Amino acid sequence: MKYYKFGNKNGRYIGSNNKYDVYENTIASRISENNVITEKKPYEIYFNYGPSAGGLRESVNFNIVTPGETIRDITVNSHYKRRKINIINNDINTALLKIERINGFHAASNAVCFLLAIEDALDIDNTGSNNKRIIEIELERIRSNIDVIGRLCESAGFSIPEKQLLYLREKVTRIISDAFNHRYFFSANYINNVHGDFNKIRLNNVYDEFNEIYNGLLESKIFMDRLQETGIVKDINSSGPAARASGYKYDARVDSESLAYDGYDAYTVESSDTFSRFMVRSNEILSSIDIINKLLNKIGNDKNDGKIKNNSGEGAARIESPQGDIFYYVNIEDNRIKDLSMVSPSYLNIELFKKAVKNNNILTDFFFVWESFGIWVSELEVDFI
Amino acid sequence: MMWFFKGIKKRIKTEKLNDKYKIKYPSALEGKSDYKCPTDAIEDQKWVKEKCIFCEKCDLKPTYNQDLYNINNNIPGLFKKSFYLYPVDSGTCGACNTEFDTIFSPQYDANRFKIFLSNTPRHADALVIMGVYTEGMEKIIENAYDAMPEPKLLIGMGACSISGGIIGEKIGKKFDIEILGCPPSPYTVINAILRARGDVK
Repeated sequence: MKYYKFGNKNGRYIGSNNKYDVYENTIASRISENNVITEKKPYEIYFNYGPSAGGLRESVNFNIVTPGETIRDITVNSHYKRRKINIINNDINTALLKIERINGFHAASNAVCFLLAIEDALDIDNTGSNNKRIIEIELERIRSNIDVIGRLCESAGFSIPEKQLLYLREKVTRIISDAFNHRYFFSANYINNVHGDFNKIRLNNVYDEFNEIYNGLLESKIFMDRLQETGIVKDINSSGPAARASGYKYDARVDSESLAYDGYDAYTVESSDTFSRFMVRSNEILSSIDIINKLLNKIGNDKNDGKIKNNSGEGAARIESPQGDIFYYVNIEDNRIKDLSMVSPSYLNIELFKKAVKNNNILTDFFFVWESFGIWVSELEVDFI
Repeated sequence: MMWFFKGIKKRIKTEKLNDKYKIKYPSALEGKSDYKCPTDAIEDQKWVKEKCIFCEKCDLKPTYNQDLYNINNNIPGLFKKSFYLYPVDSGTCGACNTEFDTIFSPQYDANRFKIFLSNTPRHADALVIMGVYTEGMEKIIENAYDAMPEPKLLIGMGACSISGGIIGEKIGKKFDIEILGCPPSPYTVINAILRARGDVK
């Protein structure tokens, strides 16, 4: 492993799975915590919501302790849709098909991070493919951030910008589909290679259309009033847009060597609320379009000539997915998966959501806070067997 | 009021079904292949559409035809004036959930075909089950189905619910409508419902 080693805590906390706690530079054994809800007081009730209910895109259950309006405590039970994925002893190509389907909406981030870990394990020079991978991940970030902002508009009852953002999300999906033959990047990624027609990626209209919606939302006092000072959380153990909305310059595009971005500087704001997370995501849509436009002019000369030197080894990689740091560890023996471990950004985001929603919020704020973190249960509730 | 005018300014964005936009994968595949498919979607060199995850690894050629569905129970005369769907995520990767949302986007606008979203199974005409079988959701799906009024339909959306795909086990229920693909495109979802309802021959 070039960039990681097993050991004690070193650098910022990235997240955990059922085996490991992962830090910026090290993988440590897991220290488990219990998910226990506070006992209700006589004047309070338990309000149970989910796992299947209108307004929830995925199956997840919330148990809220409330005296009627404010949220005093909450537990998030995400285990309902826990999937057991038979991946150990699979060959790399079959394993990749399964990795893409851990979180289909963020298939590019998962597939690229998994492949970077494989390339680390098998000592493959991947410099010829990485700019193409950055384009893919930034396209995915644009779509993901549009989706989150659209759902914030839905929570605020702003149907027109919500539908305009849904229109824009579909427009970006069609650009992805035209360039990569699939609307969710399935089967676009390979060891040291990306299959796609990058000439079909044209995002100038997306920039203008999003900018118009964004400026319209910033002019709306009602929208801003619903988001500002809602779901405030500032925690050193955070990642992705939630961290950058609290002033932390945490971004794997800056501090991870697995997939190096040339001269990228993370955009941050300080107020730590839902509005800050909306600001970070909006600005990152515009900066991602700039990154893609610059790289499209550079990739013409990139050659995928890295040779596979080994068929066994250990590797790890961390990249910035749309919701924060995503991490993969692989152990390969004779080109088969001997061990696999991943840390999803949704792990830390759920912890942050629980802190944020308890922080002086009422039940009607619940959806704003939940949607602002862009949590995907699918990538959290996975067992590799 | 400001957003009202912003909406009017954009004009109508809804497209005719099967408009200019073409999707390569998933679409119906043709030809023969000797590829050893990890989901057993090739039997005797022929394509088994229910098991296919459209991974582009075999020699079968995409036709761009989006009519990927099985209608096991025709429902002509039913739900013509309104058809309310209640989606349930059994064990999805998120792609089916997102494609299901997209049928209500301005491009597809499923509401114009009198297809609507229900917030509770008690007001739903059909349960749309997505994703592989998971132990935690089994009872919840049963409860949702029991809570629905008669007549009611069960729709399987995506290779995972119908065959287990490459990730796990299938749901194991008899679906009235099977919408195929990994994930099915929004056009496929709408078209399958229109065909089952008898709106399109």
